[in-house]
Amino acid sequence: MGLSPFRRAGSLSKPAASNSSEPTGRSSSLKNRSVIFGLLAALFLFAIGCTKDGMSTWDAYGPVAQKQLDLFNVLLWVMVAVFFLVEGALLYAIIRYRKRPGQPKPPQIHGNTTLEVTLTIIPTILVLGLGIWSVFTLFDLQDPDPDGPTPLHVNVTAHQWWFEFEYPDAGNGKKIITANELRIPVDRPITLQLESDDVIHSFWVPKLAGKLDMVPTRKNNMWFQADSDKIDDELPVTLYGQCAELCGIAHALMRFRVTVMEQAGFDSWAAAYGPPPTNSAKAKAGQQLFAANCTLCHTIDGPDDPALSASRLTGFLTGGDITPVPAPNLTDLRTRSTLAAGIIDLSETSLRDWLRNPEDIKAGNYMSERAVLYQNGAASLTDEEIDALIGYLLDLP
Amino acid sequence: MTTVDHKRIAILYGVTAFIFLLIGGLEAGVIRMQLASADNDLIGAGRFNEMFTMHATTMVFMVIMPLGVSFFNFVIPLAIGARDVAFPRLNALSFWIFLFGAVLMHMSFVVNQVPDAGWFSYANLTEKPFSPNRGLDFWSISLLVMGVASVAGALNFIVTIINMRAPGMTFMRMPVFVWMTLITSILLVLAFPVITVGLIELTLDRNFGTHFFIPAEGGDPILWQHLFWIFGHPEVYILILPPMGIVSEILPTFSRKPLFGYPFVVFSGIVIGIMGWAVWSHHMFTVGLGPVANSVFTITTMLIAVPTGVKIFNWIGTLWKGAIEFTTPMLFALGFVALFIIGGLSGVSHAVSPSDFQQQDTYYIVAHIHYVLFGGSMFGIFAGAYYWFPKITGRMMDETIGKINFWLIFIGMNLTFFPMHFLGLNGMPRRIYTYSAELGWENLNRIASFGYIVLFVGILVFIYNILKARNSRRVSHDPWDAPGLEWSIASPPPAYNFAEIPQIQGRDHYWIVKEKAEAAGTPITEPEALVDPSSIHMPSPSYWPIFTAVGVTLIGGGLLSHYALSFVGGVIAMMGVIGWSNEPAAAPSDHH
Repeated sequence: MGLSPFRRAGSLSKPAASNSSEPTGRSSSLKNRSVIFGLLAALFLFAIGCTKDGMSTWDAYGPVAQKQLDLFNVLLWVMVAVFFLVEGALLYAIIRYRKRPGQPKPPQIHGNTTLEVTLTIIPTILVLGLGIWSVFTLFDLQDPDPDGPTPLHVNVTAHQWWFEFEYPDAGNGKKIITANELRIPVDRPITLQLESDDVIHSFWVPKLAGKLDMVPTRKNNMWFQADSDKIDDELPVTLYGQCAELCGIAHALMRFRVTVMEQAGFDSWAAAYGPPPTNSAKAKAGQQLFAANCTLCHTIDGPDDPALSASRLTGFLTGGDITPVPAPNLTDLRTRSTLAAGIIDLSETSLRDWLRNPEDIKAGNYMSERAVLYQNGAASLTDEEIDALIGYLLDLP
Repeated sequence: MTTVDHKRIAILYGVTAFIFLLIGGLEAGVIRMQLASADNDLIGAGRFNEMFTMHATTMVFMVIMPLGVSFFNFVIPLAIGARDVAFPRLNALSFWIFLFGAVLMHMSFVVNQVPDAGWFSYANLTEKPFSPNRGLDFWSISLLVMGVASVAGALNFIVTIINMRAPGMTFMRMPVFVWMTLITSILLVLAFPVITVGLIELTLDRNFGTHFFIPAEGGDPILWQHLFWIFGHPEVYILILPPMGIVSEILPTFSRKPLFGYPFVVFSGIVIGIMGWAVWSHHMFTVGLGPVANSVFTITTMLIAVPTGVKIFNWIGTLWKGAIEFTTPMLFALGFVALFIIGGLSGVSHAVSPSDFQQQDTYYIVAHIHYVLFGGSMFGIFAGAYYWFPKITGRMMDETIGKINFWLIFIGMNLTFFPMHFLGLNGMPRRIYTYSAELGWENLNRIASFGYIVLFVGILVFIYNILKARNSRRVSHDPWDAPGLEWSIASPPPAYNFAEIPQIQGRDHYWIVKEKAEAAGTPITEPEALVDPSSIHMPSPSYWPIFTAVGVTLIGGGLLSHYALSFVGGVIAMMGVIGWSNEPAAAPSDHH
C-alpha cells in the first residue's frame, strides 16, 4: 500500500532527530545503527499497520467507498509530501543551526515579507484545490447514477442497541422485516433511509460507504453498492458494520452484518421469507411459549390464530408494569448468521446461552432488564421450554 | 487562601491542574488497559463510558485550560510590566470557583453517579430516559460553575492586557504569548455563553420538564450539537493558542534570534481566532446536513489550515540561521512543532468531508486530537513549565533529568497515539469498550497501551524533577539570557514585581536593554534592585473571593441535592459580593 512513508515518518524521523540534537557529537556508527533500527521499526509498523480485514477502510467493495478511498489516497500522498518537506526543513534547521562553541550572535533577522506571502499563497492554493475536489465528490456521491440499474430500497431504523431493516419492495407485497443482517444483491445500488427510534446512532459499513448518522426525527438518505468485480471471494460475502456514534451502555455491542448475494440468491431468500413452520407438536409448543413470553417486544409475522392471541393476552396481563421496547422481528431468525446484534455466531448452543442469560452475552440489553422471565425467578423458562422455543425459532427437527 | 497576588494564584492554578492531569491520566490508563486486548472484560461498558467521558472533560476543562490560565497569571503581568492583574480579587475568585467546580464534578465519583455520555454529551442520549442517574447533572452544573471562573478570568486578562501595559509597550511590541492570551481570552468570553445556553437548556430538560432536545416533544437533538460545537471549535483554539504563544517565546530565546515574521505570527493568531467560528460543522459532517452545508464547512476548514501553516513556517524561520541550544524547554518547544505538524496534517484530512465520512468517530480522530492536544498543547505547557520554572522559584530543574523526561514523553506519546491513525483507518470506532479479535485491531492497541506506560513514566519523571528542584542550586535572575521583560527582575519576583515601571524600548525589550548595557561597557548581571515593599501600595489580601466562590458553588451543589442548599448558596454569594464591595478600596497597583 501507499502507506509506508506515512508510517516511516512517525517512527524514523524522530529518533534520527534525537541523535543529531544530542549536545555532543556521536560516532557515525551509532547514527547508522539508529537509521537501521528506524528502518526496521518502520517495516515492523508497515507489516502490522495496514490491514484489509473486517472493518478496514483500505478495501472498497463498491463505488462509494472507492471514491472516498481515492480521495483519501491522494490526500495521503499530499500529507506525506508536506510532512517530509516541513519536518525535513525543521530537522535541517535543528541540525544545521545548532549552537557551536564560540559562535558569535547569529544575524538578527526579523522576517521576509516576500517569503511569507509566498508561503501563505502556496498552501492556500493547495487546500483550495483539495477543497474543490472534495465538493465535487460530495455532490457526485449524493445519488446513484439514474441511468444505472434500479436501486433496491431499504428502510433502516436504529434502536438501542440493534438495527432493523425493512424492505418495502422486495417481497412482492409481502412485508420483509429483519434485524442486524442486511442482505443485498450485488451490482445494484442500494438506497437506504436511516432513522432512529431513540437516541442518535450512526450507520457504518466501511467497505461499502462512509458513515451517516441516524437521528430521531430525521430521515437521512444514503446509498451504496457492492461491485462483483471488486469482490475476490465467492458470493455470498459477509461484511461488517457497526454503530459509530456513542448511544449508551451497549454501544460497542451494536454491530451488524451485510451479506452481499447474487440477485438470484437474494430473490430466493426474499421469496422464502416467512415465519418458521409449526409442523411438529414441539414447534407448536415453542410458538405458544413465544406468544406468551416474548411478544410484548418481539414479533414473528404470520397468520393470527385464536390460541396464539389468547396466550399473547396472558403474556400482556402478566407483564406487570414493564415498559415494552421495540425488539427485533424474529420471523427469519433461522436464516441469520449472528445473534444479539452481530456479537456471536448463531447456533443452537449460542441461542440457548442467550435465552438462559442474555446479560452474560450483551451487558446492558433491555431483554434481561425488562422481560418478566428474567426479572421474576418464578417466571423463568425451564430447560425443556427453552428447547421448545429454540426448536421453533430455528426450525429444528 | 486570601491571596490576591497573581503569582501565587498562578501556582495554585498550576498545582491544582497538575493534580487533575494525574487523575485524567489515570483514567486514560484504565481505558488503555481495557483496550489492550480483544474481547477484554477488565471493566464493564458502564465504567468504560465513565472513564472516557471524565478523561476528556478533565483534560479539557480541568487541565489544559487552567494550565494555560496558570501561565497567563504568572507571566502576563510580568511580561507587560504591571504590578498585578487589573482585578486581583476577581482573579482569586476565578481560581476558587474553578477549584470548587472541579471538585463538585468529581463528587460524582463519591456518589457513584458519574457522567458517561462523552465530553460532547450529545443529546438526546443525555436526557432523563436514557441517562437516569445524576451523572449528567453533575456534568452540566459543574461546567456551568467552572464557566463562571473562565469568563471572569478571561475578562480580567483582556482588561489587564489592554490597560496595564508599561509605557512604550505598544500592541505590536507585545510578546506573542501576550497576544495569544488576549485572543484566547476574547474567544473564551464569546464562546462560553454559547455552551452556557446549551448547558442550561440541558439542565432544564433533565430537571424541570422542558424539552429543548427531546425529539418526541418537538425538541431537536441536533440543536445541542450546533451549540456544543459553536463553543467546541473555538475551545480547541482556546486550548492551543496559549501553548503556541509559549513556544513563540521559547524558540527565539534559544535560537538567539528574534521571532521570524512577528506580524505574521500575530495576525495568523487573530485570523485563527476569527475563522475558528466558521468551521464548527466539520464535527458534524455525518449528521446529514446535506452536501451544501458540508461543502461550505469543507472549504472553511481547509482555509483555517493556512494561518496554522503560517505559524509553523515562522517557527522554522526563527530557527533558521540561529544558534540553537538544546535546553529542556527548547526540546519541548521543538517537539511541539514536530508533533503539531502531524496533528495539523491529519486535521486537513478530516476537512475533506467525503473521506471524513469514513474517519469520523474512529481512532483516526483520536490520534489527531492527541497530536494536537498532547503533542501540541501539553508539549507547549511542559516547555513553558521548564522555561519559567527558574523565574517562578529562583531554582533550576535538573537539565539531564529534563532531557530524559522529554524523550520518555516524546517516545511514549508517539507510541501511544501514532498507531491510532492506523486503527482508525482499519475501521476501529471510538468509544467502544471492547472489540472482536477477528477485526485485527489487537496488535496496534497493544502498542498504544505500552506507549501509555512509557508516557506515564515520563510524567512521573517530571514530578520527580520538580520535587528534586527544591534542593537545587539558586540561579541568576536571567538564566536563559531571555528577551522578555519578566527576566529583568529578581527570581522569584518580589510581590510588587517591578520597583519602577520600565520604559519599553521595543520587541524583545530585555535583549535590547542588555545589548545597550554591553555596548556601554556595563553589562547587566543583577536584577532590578529590591525596594522596601511597604513603599509600594499593593492590593491587600481578601477573604471575600473564596467566600463568594463557596456561595456560587453551593448554588450548583444545591441543584444536585436539595434546592434549599442553592438558596443558602445564593445568600452566601450575595453576602460575599456585598462584603467585597464594602472592603476598603485598594488603589490600583501601578499608580502611586
